[in-house]
Amino acid sequence: MKEISKPIRKVDDQDKIEGKVRYIADIEFEGMLFAKTLRSGRPRARIRSIEIPELPDGYFIVDANDIPGKNRVKMVINDHPFFAEGEVNYIGEPILLVVGPKKETIFEIIEKIKIRYEDLNPILTMEDAERKGKTFIDYEFTKGDPDKAFEMAEKVIEDEFRTGYQEHIYLEPQGVVGICEDGKVTIYGAMQCPYYVKGAVMEGLGWDEDRVRVVQTTTGGAFGGKEEYPSIIAGQVVVAALKTGRPVQLIFDRDEDIMVTTKRHPSVTEYRVGLDGNGRITVLDINIKLDGGAYGGLSGVVLQRALFTATGVYNIPNLRVRGSVLKTNKVPSGAFRGFGAPQAIFGIEMLMHHLAEKLGRVPLDFKMDYALKTKDTTSTGGIIRGEVKLPEIIKEVEKMSDYRRKHKESRKFRGIGLSLFLHGCGFTGKGEESIKGKVTLRKKGKDVEILTSSVEMGQGATTTLRKIVSKSLSIPITQVLYDNPDTERVPDSGPTVASRTVMIVGGLLDSAAKELRERWDEGDEIEVSKIYKHPGYIKWDDKLLKGDAYPEYSWGANVVEVEIDPITYEIEVLGIWAVYDIGVAIDERIIQGQIEGGITQGLGYATIEVMDSVDGELVQRTLTDYKIPTSMDFPKIESKLVRNPYKYGPYGAKCAGELPFVGAAPALASAVENALSVPINRIPVTPEYLLEVLSG
Amino acid sequence: MVKAFRPVNLDEALNIRKENRVIPIAGGTDLMVQKRRWAGLTPSFEYPLLFIGHIEELRGIRIQDDRLRIGSASSFNELLENTLTPSVLKDAISGMASYPIRNMATIGGNICNASPAGDTLPVLYSLDAVLILSSLKGERRIPIEEFIKGPGITNLKDDEILKGIEIPQYDFDLYFYKKVGIGKVTSLSKISFLGLANITDDRIKDIKVSFGAVAPSVVRSREIESRIKELDREEIVKEFNNIKEMYSELIAPIDDARSTAHYRKVISLRLLEAFLTKEVQ
Ligand SMILES: Cc1cc2nc3c(=O)[nH]c(=O)nc-3n(C[C@H](O)[C@H](O)[C@H](O)COP(=O)(O)OP(=O)(O)OC[C@H]3O[C@@H](n4cnc5c(N)ncnc54)[C@H](O)[C@@H]3O)c2cc1C
Repeated sequence: MKEISKPIRKVDDQDKIEGKVRYIADIEFEGMLFAKTLRSGRPRARIRSIEIPELPDGYFIVDANDIPGKNRVKMVINDHPFFAEGEVNYIGEPILLVVGPKKETIFEIIEKIKIRYEDLNPILTMEDAERKGKTFIDYEFTKGDPDKAFEMAEKVIEDEFRTGYQEHIYLEPQGVVGICEDGKVTIYGAMQCPYYVKGAVMEGLGWDEDRVRVVQTTTGGAFGGKEEYPSIIAGQVVVAALKTGRPVQLIFDRDEDIMVTTKRHPSVTEYRVGLDGNGRITVLDINIKLDGGAYGGLSGVVLQRALFTATGVYNIPNLRVRGSVLKTNKVPSGAFRGFGAPQAIFGIEMLMHHLAEKLGRVPLDFKMDYALKTKDTTSTGGIIRGEVKLPEIIKEVEKMSDYRRKHKESRKFRGIGLSLFLHGCGFTGKGEESIKGKVTLRKKGKDVEILTSSVEMGQGATTTLRKIVSKSLSIPITQVLYDNPDTERVPDSGPTVASRTVMIVGGLLDSAAKELRERWDEGDEIEVSKIYKHPGYIKWDDKLLKGDAYPEYSWGANVVEVEIDPITYEIEVLGIWAVYDIGVAIDERIIQGQIEGGITQGLGYATIEVMDSVDGELVQRTLTDYKIPTSMDFPKIESKLVRNPYKYGPYGAKCAGELPFVGAAPALASAVENALSVPINRIPVTPEYLLEVLSG
Repeated sequence: MVKAFRPVNLDEALNIRKENRVIPIAGGTDLMVQKRRWAGLTPSFEYPLLFIGHIEELRGIRIQDDRLRIGSASSFNELLENTLTPSVLKDAISGMASYPIRNMATIGGNICNASPAGDTLPVLYSLDAVLILSSLKGERRIPIEEFIKGPGITNLKDDEILKGIEIPQYDFDLYFYKKVGIGKVTSLSKISFLGLANITDDRIKDIKVSFGAVAPSVVRSREIESRIKELDREEIVKEFNNIKEMYSELIAPIDDARSTAHYRKVISLRLLEAFLTKEVQ
């Protein structure tokens, strides 16, 4: 392999295209039983009684009483019960499983179970939660002296933005199988984080680690949706397997998956901007509110990323950044590609766009006045160490899109918009330090096996990680082996999240490979392990939220051109241009896949993916009503990479998985704004919303 | 277990229909979705199924007595591929579902499902389609607007099968079709609009206007149409507010998961305006 970036065929393509791959729903274990979940039909209620019909032989009810350990799922805030315990807090909350050999009978049993609720007053909107002070977590930090800067400001401008739910719609819905044998449990299933599942099951059972094994099965997409959610259902099937003595399968139907699994946090972001006499921004007050739903889960970390991304690519001297996760009686929100950053970037980009319009500036020029440069301090007082190649990125994207001319010549119903953005690579704050990801390479004869808990979920990890090892060892890629992780065989390299796999895990594999290469002749069987350590310069104070929130950043710019139907207000996207600095691409085609998928998913978020909750119930609950974009919805995406190697990444690679998502929505929304000359303050930008805005 | 009949011809089908309470199933693209349960379980039907999609007498697209005759079990892709299919109908069909669904879905199913968002319905209303309903007693013919009573409600009798659709041959100088959905493909209509007109010497000789998805069933008013007829272009512009007022009373949309009543009402009237004051001009 000469040049690492040169695309190779994805190693798992062939089997997937031929339909040979077996997903969890395709695997039959001997004597396997099926499980179906009985769920809360109320947003908030006490459970008065549960009336169970007489069960035929071989059928079981599994509920909170069957949990030997703690009935709370280990996430970050451990508050979601495996099964409801006396009360329910959202529609869809799991109460019990009906388990048995025949789906038909399970279905009949479920229909006959009667639950009596005593309704309690639910909190159904973010506004209501705020009024009642119901939050899971609140953060605040400042930079400079915001109070004084506001006092000195010539002018203060306020603005507010909203974003909605987004559902992952991974191709493969959630599914797990639990097996209990010889005093041990094994969980098979679609997941991003085998060790999260393991930890959650250990706590649920109260068992120690050698009695819990987790094996990831080939996972058909995840996008963050299989970060924390599989822990809940893994705990449930394991308890069911324990009770029945048989393997138990729990697989969601699409509608069920849409209704009950985590979604992207809806948000409200509020801004106060102080300007001096020359119209320069001197201070920003940012307040980001996320709708956490009924349980905290990992929403606090999502909020952290939102807050640390709140100023986008801009250097503002005085800041107050605060935020909260609000507690409502709705389906819990959770991890989703971008993890809080999309809401923050949407807000700050739209704010900058609005300010530019108010001040009569070309948005791009206005934004560039504040763009971060190398050695600038971040909002948390960290330092931007890598070379900031924004000027180069912008030059490229301007050239490709003809932004300036089109912006000048924009006319009614046709417009162009631009977004600048960054993404912090790897875990937020102390995350990487506390996980201490570990990888192992095992040489066996001429083959080398990668032992890592990082999973393939369609993003290309099996290909990119193999490529790194193959190049660093100078052996053919066919001699590098990698299987779906099994916690009995692989160390904990951390979860497959936060755009960390190539940069952090790939970096560890690179250094393990280099050591193995040195020691190649020591014998036929050699094992080399590496544990992650942050580069020495990184300082982070988790209490004060001060220091380097991320070890490194990837950057990007998107331009979107739209035309709006003057009668129906439907948005037609005419062009999409995107330039990124992700360090170095490990495989350019895989990156192109991330870019095209990320932008399309981001434009879906910005336009057609509408999900409302009324009285605690989702209105769009099927793929008929909740639509994601198809290849027919948007034109071809033109993208380019600007090379900018990162010293500590494998072959200079930084992060790329989430970055392409975060910039799409503000580029689109500002293009719509440009076309219609009305402020856009929310996504999704639907024709219904435009009608409202345009008729005042 | 689902009990089902698979008759070899229409006669057998009608006999089964008479003797048993059954549910006809053609492509199944509505029924299988409406009655789905848990993956791995067959959908649950209250009555046995009667498969009719394969029956020869229900298929085929041809001209007969100067009228276009479409077999009820013609799939959408068959209609798209046939040169006899009116281009307005083709336009509506090509914006429906996706290729594989169009292989299965039938025009008869779209009619009998009687969804307010059924996309062939505004076209069939505007084309004055007449339905041929078969039973052992014989055939009866009924205009589509008399057949569809409301969302999911038709006056199909328990012993009947929709055999075919008859469409008089019309030529139009002008037509304007628009479907508004969520995204570009595979989405159900928020609104659909079809306007057809014939114009001679600046005067409207004939006009047909239908709205889909904005009321319990398709909105078409022969009464309003007859008031538009014989107006010239200028008069249309002058009269437009009155015409709009009249349609406005018939358009009674709802808020649902896909759109809002407000949007549906405002935009469908705008489509009318675009048709009458721009397209027709
Ligand atoms: C993914 C997807 C996308 C879709 N998109 C669209 C769309 O864009 N626009 C749209 O309008 N629809 C759409 N549909 C709905 C559906 O495909 C159509 O309504 C189709 O025309 C139904 O035809 P069918 O043959 O499949 O009906 P079936 O499901 O077989 O039957 C529907 C109903 O009609 C009755 N029936 C059928 N044939 C007869 C007959 N000859 N005589 C008496 N009764 C009969 C059945 O008993 C049943 O009540 C979509 C469906 C899916 C699954």
